[in-house]
Amino acid sequence: MLRPASERPRLAPVSGAQPLGPLARARLAGEIVGACLKARHYLREAPIESVIANLRAASASAASAAARNPTPTNLEQARRLGRAVAATLRLLPGDTRCLVRSLVLTRLLARREIPARLVIGARAEPDFLAHAWVECAGAPVLSPGDGSFARLVEL
Amino acid sequence: MGCEQGIATSLTLGAASRVRVPEHVVYRSFPAETVLLNLQSGTYHGLNTTAGRMLEELERTDSLGRAAAVIADEFGQTRSLVQADICELCRSLLERGLIEVDAAPGL
Repeated sequence: MLRPASERPRLAPVSGAQPLGPLARARLAGEIVGACLKARHYLREAPIESVIANLRAASASAASAAARNPTPTNLEQARRLGRAVAATLRLLPGDTRCLVRSLVLTRLLARREIPARLVIGARAEPDFLAHAWVECAGAPVLSPGDGSFARLVEL
Repeated sequence: MGCEQGIATSLTLGAASRVRVPEHVVYRSFPAETVLLNLQSGTYHGLNTTAGRMLEELERTDSLGRAAAVIADEFGQTRSLVQADICELCRSLLERGLIEVDAAPGL
């Protein structure tokens, strides 16, 4: 259900070229940590597709946002959020590997109604390895790895 | 010709069985391996090139028997041997939730 603007949670601004102030950075870090805890919890409870659906359900129109065409501003915002997610989760204990990072960023983007896709890829050689990342407008906004990963699925 | 004996699932596999890869399973073939991902369990699985080729043919054709015929021609083996191998593969994939089998009418 769409809430009136006055009731919607305040999100840390990430657009524009200027760095965030201390309060906005703290707010964004808190949002990232919260999303991480949610992602870990959902991952224990449900299949990945349901996890993503739950994380995207953060706003009424976020679920459909994934299908829309992102704007250049969206892409820049997504890149900044991607960097913030990677930097923040690096400091957290526990599982903060690529899938959790991607899920956290998926939630942050959904809350801002920025269209994005979570991609899962794999490689078979020299040894099997899987990797997850997020793309916005077809461009990676989290590291897609070293280029050796072939796409398995986009969610 | 069939491979009913010894199958651990409740479903009987036979030449007329049709195999499908469910929506929650995605796979991709690499030169040395086929990688499958079960999105429900979050588990990755690997198939060697022969098994990967079998899976492709099982999904492309409308019955296990037809897939066995194609693979037998391709690898220069007898159809019965290939069908037994495909049944073994299907049993293994079924146990892991990586395929679904529609029993054909009459089975």
